[in-house]
Amino acid sequence: MRTTRRVFLKSAATVAAAGVVAPSIIRPASAQGGTLRIGMVLPVTGPGADAGRFALNGAKIALEAVNKAGGVLGKPMEIVTEDDQTTNPGAVLAFSKLASQPDLVAFLGSIRSTQNHAMAPDILKTGKPVAFGGTDPVLTQLGNPWLFRFRPNDSFSARVIAEYGVTTLAKKKWAIIHSTDAFGTSGAKALTEALGKSGATVALDQGYSNQSQDFTPVVLAIRQSGADVIGSYFTFENDLGIFARQLRQLGVQAPWVGSASIVNVTALKLAGPSLYNTYGVADYAEESSDAARNFGKAYRAVMKIPPDNQSSWTFDAVTVLAKAINAAGKTDPKAIREALLAIRGHEGAEGTYNFDQNGDGLHGYNVVRNDKGNIVFDKRIDFYKG
Amino acid sequence: MDLILQLLFTGIGIGAVYALVALGFVLIFRATNVVNFAQGEFSMVAAFLMVVFAVDLQWPYWLSFLLAIGGMALLGALFNLGVYYPLRHRTYLPVIISTIGASIFLANTTLALYGPQPQVLPPVFETQGFLVGPVYLDTQYLLIIAVTAVLVAFQYWFFEHTLLGKKLQATSQDKEMAALLGIPVAGMIMLTFVYSAVLGGIAGILVAPVLFVSIQMGGTIALKAFAATIIGGFGDVTGAIIGGLALGIIETFGAAYISVPYKDAFAFIVLVAFLALRPQGIFGERIAEKA
Repeated sequence: MRTTRRVFLKSAATVAAAGVVAPSIIRPASAQGGTLRIGMVLPVTGPGADAGRFALNGAKIALEAVNKAGGVLGKPMEIVTEDDQTTNPGAVLAFSKLASQPDLVAFLGSIRSTQNHAMAPDILKTGKPVAFGGTDPVLTQLGNPWLFRFRPNDSFSARVIAEYGVTTLAKKKWAIIHSTDAFGTSGAKALTEALGKSGATVALDQGYSNQSQDFTPVVLAIRQSGADVIGSYFTFENDLGIFARQLRQLGVQAPWVGSASIVNVTALKLAGPSLYNTYGVADYAEESSDAARNFGKAYRAVMKIPPDNQSSWTFDAVTVLAKAINAAGKTDPKAIREALLAIRGHEGAEGTYNFDQNGDGLHGYNVVRNDKGNIVFDKRIDFYKG
Repeated sequence: MDLILQLLFTGIGIGAVYALVALGFVLIFRATNVVNFAQGEFSMVAAFLMVVFAVDLQWPYWLSFLLAIGGMALLGALFNLGVYYPLRHRTYLPVIISTIGASIFLANTTLALYGPQPQVLPPVFETQGFLVGPVYLDTQYLLIIAVTAVLVAFQYWFFEHTLLGKKLQATSQDKEMAALLGIPVAGMIMLTFVYSAVLGGIAGILVAPVLFVSIQMGGTIALKAFAATIIGGFGDVTGAIIGGLALGIIETFGAAYISVPYKDAFAFIVLVAFLALRPQGIFGERIAEKA
């Protein structure tokens, strides 16, 4: 898992070279005609910029595979990107810039639930399918027919965290730590409900605001609560890294089961040994399936570093969108929507896609453990009932 | 009691960082009558320079530190020449906007040159911390507090007991009179920018092992440091220190005893209260007079 600047520079150079060799991968917004174009909202600046880089990498790898296999509707597929600046207004602006280009047939939205909430009204007006990665369960319950989720939502992650903590780790007294944004709040709410059903108690429910510089009061509150296990929903890896280090420094050794960010490549790098022996519910786990292993191999071949869920969901989104458009046989938004909803048993990097009527493609999570910095797959818990 | 001592230590540690950056705000305000909103980006750039030298190139820590500080001195000089000097005869507003532009430029240039991934800068000491009774003392926070104390003492001595310091003070108080007395005003202002960039850089390097190195780190610290200077009084060195420490302690205790999510709000509630009730700060002179 250890990565260096040199590796990143080499990776960047490789991608740049790949861009020259395979010019159909990403083109400027002005390039049109002869290609089938989809838009992508992603953070290039702001605190999510690192995640944006992973997201773009995943999309590029999928795009190359799609185009190698003949493209979409006989044309090469192309992605047009706009920077959301990791802010809600930035996301709305980025989406509206993309939506104003009539030849874009579908979009990739954000991995951040708050930004997808912000964009949702414009997505409804635009009336074209948007593949997104935010895990707030509410997003697919808004009645917006154009939202398609490419990660499992947090009602599933909460159930998996609760089940693993209560059943496997045999811990009943929980401290829930979460960001106060839409993702963290809804995750904590879902976890509280799941723990209630499991017969466990919540000794502490503690929110924090993103971009915190110090978690001492949070850690001391955990210590005082007497919780014997921690469940968490962290949005940004920087926050998670600071919390992890302070948690261990201040002597809290309770087991910790976190949402997917706890096993992100960046979080592992920042927190190092502070995250050893923690558990995560990960939508992407390299050893969870052949499709995940193949994606891991393809990603490593290009980027020289391991992938994580920041890139796996965009890989799946581009692949599935291409498949749906080909199945629809045309670029009519309603036809693409119907084709997406009809997808069953598609083996993606994140799991098996079976879209329900709400637009949720995945219905389960992997449980993984941090073994001295290596992410070890434990088991997959899937709630899909066809 | 253990809880209070732990919070106090952390609050002072974080507050010392705010104080260091606030010192840079104060120095430039005293010399030029403008607020340098790129002060936080000085911290960020220095932290990234340390990562390049000490982590990527694996040069010795002391050499990396000297090079990073040297780089900050150069950046301070360039900042003076490129951002302040062309607008020096204008009112304070264009210069302030110019510093905001410069902060955006520095953040995006660093992003373009280095990429978005947050980085880890190892701490100076191998021992991360130790327990004194029930209180965990982080060695990096101890270092931050110690360095802040040394720099404040140095600054006091420099301004009060050296000819150069007195020239700088004279320049900040009345540039025209200082020029008539033969003080090279432009040189003094250049020196102020260089020193404040170095101060911001030291703060960034010290805080990097605690908060990690990211493009956003400068903005986050600078906002709090700005609040600290308001509390202490713009233009007042002692005020900046007291303001920084007070802010660190207020937000840490506020988070522990009132609300964690509103931690940042405490800083700005205090800021607004001072602006409304005591704009000159605890010790400082009236902002209205300066602005």
